[in-house]
Amino acid sequence: MPRYELALILKAMQRPETAATLRRTVETLMERGAVVRNLENLGERLLPYKMTKHDQRHTRGTYFLIDFYSAPNILTGLLDHLHRDVDVVRPTVLRKDEQVRRSTCCGPQQ
Amino acid sequence: MTCVRGLQRLKAALYLRRNTCSRSLTSGGVHHKDDMIVKIENPYKEPQKGCTLCNVTIDFKNIQLLSQFISPHTGRIYGRYITGLCGRKQKEISKAIKKAHAMGFMSVTHKHPQFMKDPNICGSKHLD
Repeated sequence: MPRYELALILKAMQRPETAATLRRTVETLMERGAVVRNLENLGERLLPYKMTKHDQRHTRGTYFLIDFYSAPNILTGLLDHLHRDVDVVRPTVLRKDEQVRRSTCCGPQQ
Repeated sequence: MTCVRGLQRLKAALYLRRNTCSRSLTSGGVHHKDDMIVKIENPYKEPQKGCTLCNVTIDFKNIQLLSQFISPHTGRIYGRYITGLCGRKQKEISKAIKKAHAMGFMSVTHKHPQFMKDPNICGSKHLD
């Protein structure tokens, strides 16, 4: 199964609410047959620009990174679900490719 | 005086030509093995220099690295003639910066103030 990465930006909330939102997201992933591999918290920080989502202007947000394996056909449904979630500011799913070690990279090899 | 010198020059040229002709006639058949030119690799060849990001993996999450290649005033991505990167790395950096913009990781119109004190990799000089 191909490997994907979900870069999730959640609204700046209290810890129990953030935990509940994450739990909801991971359960949605698992319901659709994805295998969650890793969940990283990149911390709460000031957003690079103000984002408007669900009739709210967001200045601060919590960044999360979820690695998962899944079938490619569930992604549209998943993104749809995440866009509808009020606590999620910006969900982005990326394909994670293996870094192919190229033989020559314009310089000396280490 | 000048015509004498001219004659002398002609004589010298003819003498040289005669000598070279005679050399080629006599040395045609004899090959000395110790003074044959041996082909070796250039010993003064310098090791191939790579660009500054030669063995560095580029990620959209690493906004500190990406911020080093944008203008601090406008947030515009520097061109190849300023960054000095090779084609592949310049494309990767450009793609990563645009990805970071779209995903809400990096600012578009300015550079994060936290990264303003970073060392200047690109050869840009700003009048502050």
